[in-house]
Amino acid sequence: MMPFFRSRRQQPPTMTLEGMLGPNGRLDDAAGMKIAAPDALCVAADGKLLVSSGARVLALGAWDGAPETFATFDAPVTALCQGAGGLVAIGLAGGRLAVRDGSGRPVAGWTLPEGRVASVVDCAFTSGDELVLVDCGYGHGDNLLAQAAWDDQPRGQLVSLHRSGETRAIASGLHCPMGVCLDAADGLLVSLLEWASIVDGTGKVRQAGYPGYLGRLRRTSGGFALACLSRRDPLIEFLKTERAFVAAMKAKIEPRHWIAPRANPEFSHDFPIELGATRLYGEVKPWAPSFSYGLLIEMDAGLMPVGSAQSRANGQRHAICDVAVWKGDLIAVSRASGEILNLGAAA
Amino acid sequence: MIASFDFNSLPKQRVPRLVISPRRIVGDLLSKGWIENAIPFLALLLVVGGILASTDGYFDAANLRNLSQYAADGGLVMLALLIVVAVGGIDLSVGSNFAMSAFVALLCFHILELPVPVVLLATLATGMSIGVANGVIAGLLGCGALLTTLGTMITVRGLYTLLSQAWLVDISKSARLDDWWDWVGFEKVLTMPVGFWVLVVVAASVFVLFRQTRFGWHILAVGSNRKAARHGGIGVRRTIFVSYVMAGALVGLSAFLFAARQNAISADTGIGMEFFVLTALVVGLGGFVPGRGAVIPALIGFATIYILNNYLINAGYRGDFVLLSMGAIIIVILGIDVKFRKNRHRLLASTYLDPVAFEPAAVQGMEGMMPTDAPPRLAAAEIIASGQVDGPEDVLLDADGNIYCGTRDGRLLKIAAPDHTEVSVFARIGGRPLGLAFDREGRIVVCVAGMGLVRVSTDGAVDLLTDQTARSVFSVQDDTVIRMADDLDIAPDGTIYFTDATKRYDIESWGLDLLEGRPNGRLLAYDPATRRTRTVCDNLRFPNGVCLTHDGRHLLVASTWDCSIMIFDLARLSDGPRVFLGGLPGYPDNVNRSSDGGYWVALAGMRNPVFDEAMRHPGLRRRMTRRVPPTNWLFGNLNIGGVLKIDGRGEIVEALWDAPDGPLYAITSMREHGGALYLGGVSNDKIGRLKLEGTDRTWNGPDSYWGKGR
Repeated sequence: MMPFFRSRRQQPPTMTLEGMLGPNGRLDDAAGMKIAAPDALCVAADGKLLVSSGARVLALGAWDGAPETFATFDAPVTALCQGAGGLVAIGLAGGRLAVRDGSGRPVAGWTLPEGRVASVVDCAFTSGDELVLVDCGYGHGDNLLAQAAWDDQPRGQLVSLHRSGETRAIASGLHCPMGVCLDAADGLLVSLLEWASIVDGTGKVRQAGYPGYLGRLRRTSGGFALACLSRRDPLIEFLKTERAFVAAMKAKIEPRHWIAPRANPEFSHDFPIELGATRLYGEVKPWAPSFSYGLLIEMDAGLMPVGSAQSRANGQRHAICDVAVWKGDLIAVSRASGEILNLGAAA
Repeated sequence: MIASFDFNSLPKQRVPRLVISPRRIVGDLLSKGWIENAIPFLALLLVVGGILASTDGYFDAANLRNLSQYAADGGLVMLALLIVVAVGGIDLSVGSNFAMSAFVALLCFHILELPVPVVLLATLATGMSIGVANGVIAGLLGCGALLTTLGTMITVRGLYTLLSQAWLVDISKSARLDDWWDWVGFEKVLTMPVGFWVLVVVAASVFVLFRQTRFGWHILAVGSNRKAARHGGIGVRRTIFVSYVMAGALVGLSAFLFAARQNAISADTGIGMEFFVLTALVVGLGGFVPGRGAVIPALIGFATIYILNNYLINAGYRGDFVLLSMGAIIIVILGIDVKFRKNRHRLLASTYLDPVAFEPAAVQGMEGMMPTDAPPRLAAAEIIASGQVDGPEDVLLDADGNIYCGTRDGRLLKIAAPDHTEVSVFARIGGRPLGLAFDREGRIVVCVAGMGLVRVSTDGAVDLLTDQTARSVFSVQDDTVIRMADDLDIAPDGTIYFTDATKRYDIESWGLDLLEGRPNGRLLAYDPATRRTRTVCDNLRFPNGVCLTHDGRHLLVASTWDCSIMIFDLARLSDGPRVFLGGLPGYPDNVNRSSDGGYWVALAGMRNPVFDEAMRHPGLRRRMTRRVPPTNWLFGNLNIGGVLKIDGRGEIVEALWDAPDGPLYAITSMREHGGALYLGGVSNDKIGRLKLEGTDRTWNGPDSYWGKGR
């Protein structure tokens, strides 16, 4: 009898965009600053906002100021974090890592063995001598959003890197981890993209059922802020059970055309759409279903949502990939519109 | 670019003669009204089958005669109760009324020795008088039916007990004989007892009452919604009163038959009868259902209960066991029936969609012409009447350049030439006007989804030409009605060829037809001379745009889901279609003539590899419609569309696209006129006009069809 009851309780209910997460236009209304190919954010020890722009890291002293180049690399920047002593860790495409001091100069140590990880999509200093790296399991060139949706294999891992270059696996077998941050007790929290859940350093689920495909997770004064690369889509969730169709799609069709979460709200003649997304009078309805979406979830210390900022189906500020609290303001990165957004005072 | 194709060399389009699918048959059956009675009927079949299996000779002629003789009493009382229940009441006094009327019949015959017709009248009068009492109190005075008839049940039973005790011995001692009395009680007509024929006649009369008479409809209206009936001008109290009186009369008739047959009454005559017939009624109707005068289901329920009861008693079971068994069986039947009725619409919803795997031909003939291959030429189009039209599925231009188009709310708009800024209502049609065409007299013939084929005169007067065709021979569902007239064209002889895009879905749910992917549409022809509509070709896959070729001898028909253009030879329509052009990059909608002897094809949406793959997985689409909200269903991309130019041989020579997020999308129609192309979209609120370079600026559609000097 037990499996009969258990089967109904295995899947936690998915949160919907209602109530605390009710639709709004905060992302669309927020002040924005154009940045070429932005991805990661962090606040440096000197109070400047560091934001990645392709292979560069820019430093911004004030919201209305002009960004300066903090550091330049030979590969796209994929992660940023700041640690004790003003150290800044920079993840680079190809699973590489660079660590700089507060003025952007290289520092000794922190050598990540080549090939140890496939990617560094996020990182966090746990002490002055230890850095935790998030490896989502996919290379930079892979179409992550398209592939992760249809990949059952948990190929992601959490790796600890000591200043001496020694590495240690903290957790492996994670399904597409995308972000890491420390909770109030300095425990690790990891956001999983496709499984829409937050797990701890052992892989145990702390909270699940979020209404989005998760990006990076950050501490705020009132709890956490969670960047979502898109919202969860009932059709995609349904198709995960249609193995024959998915196998045929993967075998015959280019990933670019797959049905999957998307970063950009673009129109193209060769993309599938959902029935409700059909334009009326030329316009996409804000409440229409969409494979791309802008969603930033504000959460309390217990990881329960208490608010959100959204860019709906007819908006452009989709694919929120990182968030930071800077000078009391909540700053988010929209990969779709190529902007950093100032949402005002953080909760 | 004059037509130069050879019809006979074109590949034949496969058109199934018959669409056979178990799921469709189940779905179609579930959508039938009479399926509501399936469970009572199955219960009757099971009872009959069980008795056949466990007895020998129960259903032989002699026993059937016997059964029918005794069934008349209960059957008539059950019909009486049906009338009262249909009007929204209940009559618990039928048992007492039955006993009292039987007593009066015997008193009149044996003691007063009145002639049999007078006995009949007296018995009917007795039944009716009790009906009048019920009708006055429950109907005219508005007291509750349950309390009223409970009161009359007890009162009449008391009166009956008093009177019957006083006359019982005298009645039983009477030796009066009468041929008519015995004829009613024992004679047979056409091998069946008289009582049986009375039941048949009364049942037929009640059937006609509810189906055909004004008073019967009043009864059903009052039973369904008393307040609405009153607002509708029906005399509610009078209707209830007359219903009770009619029921009393039927009980009286039943009692007369009983008296003539039994020639005796006892203290328990009619006791429990009200519950027996009420049970039969509830089993037949699937519950206590006011406002439903369903005679046949009620008779089925009565037959089930009557035969079951009779069988159990005849089998020699004890009375209490018979009651116990009857109760249990009735509860099971009712339980299944109530569940079935409650969930029928869900069952229908989950079985109606009947997807099939199919694969349109791969995209061909589009090398270098796809949207990504060249700058969007429609981005240069001028926008007309922006925000003043609502869903111009088709645009039509007269020789003077005035534009006509339908709207989502059933109007036909006129956009006046030459500047196309003044929009006025040309006609109010209703439904959803789709395809348009001028006839020889300059009147506009319109395909209207939800209505059929409509003709609008030059003064705006609207005439319905046709709304139905002949029923398909093997269809379970009645498909005579034209559900989604989509596009048309008119042949030189005046015959109007038009498409009924889908027989299974309405304009609101046409998208399900794509998910189903079956050939549900048909090409029809309306002959104005004979005013007859016939089906030219059935089982086409969403036939949409229709265009007569320049030579007037062939007909192009777009098959939207097949992404192809079919062609018919008007002289040999029965030969079926051939493929004029297949493997289109999108879903073709309307097809219209171009000035250079070619044709324009509107693409309402674009194919994409994922959706093409989904069309190979019918199970996926079926499960998706059950488990995913409709707004999230995977669908063809209707957010981008375009126009293809094909030459007279059926080869694509040009493709026009707007920018991916441009204002001209889901293009469902285009017409060339005076050196420009006018573009309409079913979900757009604007019309596009693109100037065409190097085309004949004097050319227009009406002249092309009917000549300049018409």
